[in-house]
Amino acid sequence: MDRRDFLKCSLAGSSLLWLPGISSSASIFPGSSSPAAGLSRVEARYYQKLPYREIRCDLCPRFCQLGDKERGFCGVRENQDGKYYTLVYGQVASLNVDPIEKKPFFHFLPGSEAFSLATAGCNLSCKFCQNWEISQMRPEQVKNIYLPPEAVVASCERYNCPVIAYTYTEPVIFFEYMYDSSLLARKKGIKNVVVTAGYINPGPLADLLGVVEAIKVDLKAFNQNFYTEYVRGQLPPVLETIKQIARSGCWLEIVYLVIPTLNDRPEEIREMCRWLKNEIGPDYPLHLSRFHPMYLIKNLPPTPVATLDRLREVALEEGLHYVYVGNVPGHPGENTYCPKCGKLIIERYGYIIRKKELSGNKCRYCGQVIAGVWS
Amino acid sequence: MNKSRVVIVTCSRNIPDLTHPDPSLVLAMIKKGFQALSGEAEAGTALARWFRPGETIGIKINTIGRRALSTSPETALTLGLWLGQTISREENIIIWDRTGEELKEAGYKLSTSGGSLRVFGTDHRQAGYQSEPTAHRQIGSLFSRIQAEFIQASISLALLKDHGLAGVTAGLKNYFGAIHNPNKYHDSNCDPYIAELFETDSIRKKHRLTIIDALRVQYHRGPSYHPQWLAGVRQLIFSTDPVAADVVGWQLIEKLRARKGLPSLKEEKREPSYLLTAEKLNLGQSRLENIEILEEEV
Repeated sequence: MDRRDFLKCSLAGSSLLWLPGISSSASIFPGSSSPAAGLSRVEARYYQKLPYREIRCDLCPRFCQLGDKERGFCGVRENQDGKYYTLVYGQVASLNVDPIEKKPFFHFLPGSEAFSLATAGCNLSCKFCQNWEISQMRPEQVKNIYLPPEAVVASCERYNCPVIAYTYTEPVIFFEYMYDSSLLARKKGIKNVVVTAGYINPGPLADLLGVVEAIKVDLKAFNQNFYTEYVRGQLPPVLETIKQIARSGCWLEIVYLVIPTLNDRPEEIREMCRWLKNEIGPDYPLHLSRFHPMYLIKNLPPTPVATLDRLREVALEEGLHYVYVGNVPGHPGENTYCPKCGKLIIERYGYIIRKKELSGNKCRYCGQVIAGVWS
Repeated sequence: MNKSRVVIVTCSRNIPDLTHPDPSLVLAMIKKGFQALSGEAEAGTALARWFRPGETIGIKINTIGRRALSTSPETALTLGLWLGQTISREENIIIWDRTGEELKEAGYKLSTSGGSLRVFGTDHRQAGYQSEPTAHRQIGSLFSRIQAEFIQASISLALLKDHGLAGVTAGLKNYFGAIHNPNKYHDSNCDPYIAELFETDSIRKKHRLTIIDALRVQYHRGPSYHPQWLAGVRQLIFSTDPVAADVVGWQLIEKLRARKGLPSLKEEKREPSYLLTAEKLNLGQSRLENIEILEEEV
């Protein structure tokens, strides 16, 4: 099964998987793009009240300043008469049980199933977004089901998932919902992981790091021009996020979507890898993922596998210990190799683990500690 | 170079309630505006310059401010009825905005049945947004099917408001309500997004007229409703040049601000730079020396 098939049969995009036992409070309009569910009205965290019923959002580096009835860049947080609300608390637009390798997390409880969810919205605007049909929408423009934190945790238990993944769109924009769900999940021994572009301010991130166990950051490129033109964001805050996560002890993995001609220069990858090694060390996995034409960038081909091979070599040359090729099922770059003895210690095919040669957190062959959260 | 004509029609009579203007006064203002804009003796004759019989005409209004600060139903319905009766059929006129809820809160009664004006939002189950995004310069958006598919001709019937980011919101920015993601286009004073959105085929090729509702003008702290900075101006502004119309609206806001001792938008670093961008894209005239302003009264 290639990635395209995966996309078709999983819930990426606007299709909502109705997990048995989870009821919808929303009315559905078949064949229509009309809105479905009501919006939540839970007061947002991280904002300042300003004169004349204006507010400033302090959640992400945009610092949106909004008048009455205006929404932030994310489209899911609204000033209502001088008070700031999240409109997506408990309003789930995507819901699924995924292998944790799909996020991808390769060094965090491999083989686990992750109860995965997202609301509509995003605080970036990537022209190549793979989930644009929910991330670039307002909540009233997609089908939602109401699933408050208690129901998230109960559903997770029902499906025997050891992990909740906040994913698909940009969990930062549903911070309150994610935070409250994580807090409840922890009490039940369920772990929480976040899949994010890392566009968040240090204060909220510090709070989030107190309730989640792992974060995967999409580093979109290692130059500001790309962030300006294709992402509509700033690179420096993302780099600060990566450093802050690593300092916190929370597990971290990084994904870099390689887009032909736009961010695939070996020199850029080399520079990025040097930065990563210097700032956070060589042990956090780097996934170099294959791009497929999507959303507003349909004029470029999928990333040639040879490009991914070359960039992986560059990353390994720069001393990173765990460098993976993503979205190419069956590629040897999906496997984990011991950085000391070089032996294959975790063999994967797509999201399936075929072999695991770990003894606790050590290589079974040479005893080298393999960084990660393995149990 | 031919100058772009902009007509300002002022109602010299007292309008007791500018939130609910007398439809007969509004109709007189509309007819005067069309006459002056076209140079025709009859307003109805003027319509034939811009609309073909039987065309479906969309009137894009602005209801984000709900009842407090929206295009008044009296203005939009009067225009719609007159257009329907004069050039088309009532059912060929669609008065619309983003959502039915906003329309209702602004005082509109939704209607989709045949035989009369149609009033509904993009979120109506028979409308919605297109399924594939339109990519144009910096714009990547899903268009309302009302704008992209249902109508052949478009009128931007916009409110004139100060805007904290764009400087001014009027006829051009009104089309932010025709896409699914306007929240993505407020960076850098909404420039170049307002101009580039208008340049898309779905808007530029259909836009025929801008009519700016300046009966009341929010000249400071907009686009939110702040009654202390809301002026009763009793004007409607007409033009076939969408840029020139907004420039004249901008000048009106500056006059009102100056009268109250408020700094200019330039001094507040939010002059509407998108108007110059729009001119560079050949969407219209942004310089006053290239605009012919006709002032009329009823």
